[in-house]
Amino acid sequence: MGCAESLRVQAYFDGEVDAVSAADIERHTEHCAECRALLQDLEQTRTAIRRDLTLGRAPPELRVRIMRALDQETAVKTPRPNGWGRSTWRTRAFWAGALGGVGSAAVAATLAFFLLSPSLTNPLLDDLVDAHVRSLMPSHLIDVVSTDQHTVKPWFAGHTDVSPVVADFAQQGYRLIGGRADYLDHQRSAVVVYQHGPHVINVFSWAASQRALPNNTTRNGYHMAFWKAGDLEYSAVSDTGWDELLGLVRLLQDLSARDARQ
Amino acid sequence: MDDKRGRFEAEVLPHLNAAYRFARWLAHSPGDADDLVQEAILRAFRGFDALRGSDVKAWLLAIVRNCHSTALKQQQRRGFVPLPEEHDAQDGYAMIATTPDPESVSIRRDDERTLERLMSALPEEHREVLVLREIEDMDYREIATVTNVPIGTVMSRLARARAALKARWLKEAEGERRGVR
Repeated sequence: MGCAESLRVQAYFDGEVDAVSAADIERHTEHCAECRALLQDLEQTRTAIRRDLTLGRAPPELRVRIMRALDQETAVKTPRPNGWGRSTWRTRAFWAGALGGVGSAAVAATLAFFLLSPSLTNPLLDDLVDAHVRSLMPSHLIDVVSTDQHTVKPWFAGHTDVSPVVADFAQQGYRLIGGRADYLDHQRSAVVVYQHGPHVINVFSWAASQRALPNNTTRNGYHMAFWKAGDLEYSAVSDTGWDELLGLVRLLQDLSARDARQ
Repeated sequence: MDDKRGRFEAEVLPHLNAAYRFARWLAHSPGDADDLVQEAILRAFRGFDALRGSDVKAWLLAIVRNCHSTALKQQQRRGFVPLPEEHDAQDGYAMIATTPDPESVSIRRDDERTLERLMSALPEEHREVLVLREIEDMDYREIATVTNVPIGTVMSRLARARAALKARWLKEAEGERRGVR
């Protein structure tokens, strides 16, 4: 690159010169073999780099990490008790969940939704989503594996503070796959686990409190339905569609109503 | 969501992919790149109120670059010696290749590997202007903003970087012909 015009030729190639200079440089390259070769080199390098070296997009897990970090950043003004430690743990649980074998497509969808969902202020919603995600970790989904309500229900009596309605709705598409004890809102809650197609639906239940239940909502891509039956409060959480989720909710509500009449 | 967060997500996060790509070329491992991007986004968020003007992408990439230099300085102070970029080209390639997406694996050819390795082995000030110009398609003024040097310096660095890459490519080809590599 001995030609004094080489930087101008490069600027021409990069689209950094005005029309007058461009015409000037084009005239120059007609006479200067070195600058013609330079133009060719520049073109080859650009083509090769643009063809081969695109590292693509930020991975979804990085996006999630960043949204979490921004959540913490914006939440600094109103910290919750142990806010940092809990959040860190939660992120890890989230990832353990995401990397688990259950429904990786669902997890991908979750990640996409994650970016759209606003910050949470209700800790119960956080807890529910976390517990649902935690359940997707290998071997944490179910403590008692059974499709038989008569096995699951007594198991809860020994392991949780509540006794929720349990039934297998396989005929309606909601297969009972087991139960689990979880810790939620400072009390032991019972979780009944259903499978609907490829989706896992966790039905949480805990002793009703004076506090108003949240409205049905979507958090991090998980739909969450809330209802109260008798002295228990329920929440069904899943990445399945609303219609499917509410279908199970109706079945459970009917079941509670029948139990109450007996 | 408060207003600042909303505006930040709308104006800055569209450039997250660019920040990530840039970080991958600056950092020594994909993990470092992730940390770098996260740190940069947080710093950007904190400084978002002070952002004037419309060139958000250049502003964000400048922050990525600053975070990178800060991290490097900290490592050096702690006695951590980064991989020598000039000589350990193989490591440079390994850094890029550890987490490729499945598609890119199947279509990856020898040429691409070579080009990645050669790019990774360029001195940082050459590599960054090449990445900003050819991959991020930034103009000289934007590159000057990101790298914090005058436009004249951008032009001369770019010329040297392109020449260096070509020279290494030719050397590589020659080596292959001799069966050395």
